[in-house]
Amino acid sequence: MTKPVLIVGGGPAGLAAAHALATVGQKAVLVEKTEILGGAPIHSGYAKLVPSGQWAKDAIGGMVSRVEKNEHVDVRTNAIVKSFSGDPGNFSAELSDGTTVDAGAAILTTGFTHFDSVNKPEWGFGTFEDVVTTTQVEQMISSGQGVKCPSDGRKPKRVAILLCVGSRDRQIGREWCSKICCTVSANMAMEIREELPDCHVYIYYMDIRTFGLYETDYYWKSQEEFKVKYIKARIAEVTSDGDKLIVKGEDTLVKRPITIPFDMVVHAIGMDPNVDNMTISAVFGVDLHKQGFIARQDSYGVMGATSRPGVFVAGSAIAPETIDDSIAQANAAAMSAIASMNSQSAVAAE
Amino acid sequence: MPIHEKSLIREENIRTRDDLVIDGVDVSGHWSTFIESRVVTDYNEDLEDQIAGLPGGENIHRCWQCGSCTNSCTVNALNADFNPRYWIYLIRTGMESELLRDKDIIWQCVSCNKCTYVCPREVAPEGVMKATAHWLELMGHTPKSPSTLFDEVFSEQVIKRGKIEESGIIRGFFKKTGQPLMQNWLTTMAFRLFKKLPFGMMFHMAKSTIFRPKTKGWRKSQLAIEDYIIEQDTKHRKLLGLDKPTSPTPQASNDNATSTLVEAAE
Ligand SMILES: Cc1cc2nc3c(=O)[nH]c(=O)nc-3n(C[C@H](O)[C@H](O)[C@H](O)COP(=O)(O)OP(=O)(O)OC[C@H]3O[C@@H](n4cnc5c(N)ncnc54)[C@H](O)[C@@H]3O)c2cc1C
Ligand code: SF4
Ligand code: SF4
Ligand code: SF4
Repeated sequence: MTKPVLIVGGGPAGLAAAHALATVGQKAVLVEKTEILGGAPIHSGYAKLVPSGQWAKDAIGGMVSRVEKNEHVDVRTNAIVKSFSGDPGNFSAELSDGTTVDAGAAILTTGFTHFDSVNKPEWGFGTFEDVVTTTQVEQMISSGQGVKCPSDGRKPKRVAILLCVGSRDRQIGREWCSKICCTVSANMAMEIREELPDCHVYIYYMDIRTFGLYETDYYWKSQEEFKVKYIKARIAEVTSDGDKLIVKGEDTLVKRPITIPFDMVVHAIGMDPNVDNMTISAVFGVDLHKQGFIARQDSYGVMGATSRPGVFVAGSAIAPETIDDSIAQANAAAMSAIASMNSQSAVAAE
Repeated sequence: MPIHEKSLIREENIRTRDDLVIDGVDVSGHWSTFIESRVVTDYNEDLEDQIAGLPGGENIHRCWQCGSCTNSCTVNALNADFNPRYWIYLIRTGMESELLRDKDIIWQCVSCNKCTYVCPREVAPEGVMKATAHWLELMGHTPKSPSTLFDEVFSEQVIKRGKIEESGIIRGFFKKTGQPLMQNWLTTMAFRLFKKLPFGMMFHMAKSTIFRPKTKGWRKSQLAIEDYIIEQDTKHRKLLGLDKPTSPTPQASNDNATSTLVEAAE
């Protein structure tokens, strides 16, 4: 157990993998592309997390400092892996900062990229200032400035949250469900209602996918305790009458067209494959899923196995994933990495 | 091109102008036929709050439109237009005019509560039907239903005397619903009762009919009940934006709260 494990990506998954390895005395090198660790929840300034209710900067910030302080983890920020060669137990990675890392195994925790709403122009993002994304609202809440219409700073009286923006849409080549956005939207709707009790929040949905206990803790709670309204309609377009935003669509339950005025429209944006995945696939020699995420080879045996032996994957690099599942997968991948290095040293000792 | 959703076109939404000339072209009669738009242009958030504020309607906001209530409904089996799921939706989104189209069947709910037992979200749709019928009455959209009238006569007696006396209820109900007192089934029943009933019981019944006894020490309870009824009614009317209470207690003759209390204290 001399060579470190190379971990690529310092989000919740990468941080969890590094911590897991360190707790059993295994060294790790954590390579992060940006200046700071923490991944999407920190980079995008999420507010209170599902399902813990903790602020992202506390929960994920805690994971960051735990790793930064750990002597077993060598953190390299502002760096990416330029090339990667060798075999299990004996890899060599060349980083963009000119250094070389010898590693026994690698774990890819390169995460996802937020869907860019500009790619659905009919829903008004980029055209109307008061059409925003869930990440923007997360930032309004986490920064303490509160939920306000960007155009003039007024507090909205009526907010529409459009689900599945950038997910489940063959028009833009995205056939996956981003898994967390229904729950995040229900949570956000409650946060808005709590902050602005006079503001009515409508969620436009095709299906509500608040899986597992999120059903009662978020979907039911938002309806029963916070009077959030759910309307079954996939919105056709968002326009403006010069004063209010106008949301157009078909209310499928009553078979009627709707053109409803709103102060603010929020896109519940989905989780795209990391934009770097083509490069990552080429550098590490790992296959991608047809939708562009990093493909898993094995669901039940070697956890986190990719198409390349000795290289593992965890978190939202595999598919849209929650933080807690990303962390669980990272722990499993750390175990797989150690096991693969041990079996290599067993081979070497024979 | 065929019109696929013909069922959505309503007779009253078809407009034809008998006299219309556009740019010198005569388009009178069927040439100017058009169908009024069905577009919903706003939500009226008050409607749900109003129904939710009436007894039975409290949990309407929980409904997720699964349709279990409608599927299980006794009345729906006989009349497909009786659709609790749909009305709940109209109320929640504030489509008042659409709801009013069905005002003459909503009260037909038979309170079997099949919907209540089947509803996965414990909306208690039967309660919502009751609240909706109540709302329709309070807003003056529908006359009081026969069952409401029956309830009124019944509770009027209970409130006044702490007891009921059946013949009084029947007479009161018939009077309110404009039915003749002499009805075949009733005279037959009375005749048979007269023949079969033990003398003691008959004597007792006759005495009650004539003297209308009160429960002992009822006055206090009567005042408390009346207070409560006035309080609730005032609350409901305020919620619905109706200023003047019309019948604060089931005693329809009183038109304000004080006179009821005065009478009660007599
Ligand atoms: C609006 C929104 C709200 C959300 N709220 C919640 C919530 O409340 N609860 C919850 O459980 N989940 C939530 N999620 C999901 C959550 O963001 C993800 O589960 C989580 O970020 C996944 O962590 P990760 O480490 O796999 O990926 P990421 O967080 O994406 O981290 C990946 C890291 O890798 C780095 N990186 C990327 N490419 C490279 C490269 N080539 N080389 C080196 N480094 C690289 C990135 O800079 C980043 O730091 C939300 C998602 C969205 C979109
Ligand atoms: S989680 Fe909900 S909002 Fe997100 S893609 Fe899936 S169905 Fe749509
Ligand atoms: S209580 Fe009324 S609405 Fe419910 S099933 Fe019976 S008739 Fe239908
Ligand atoms: S059964 Fe309950 S949840 Fe389902 S439509 Fe009826 S009232 Fe709504």
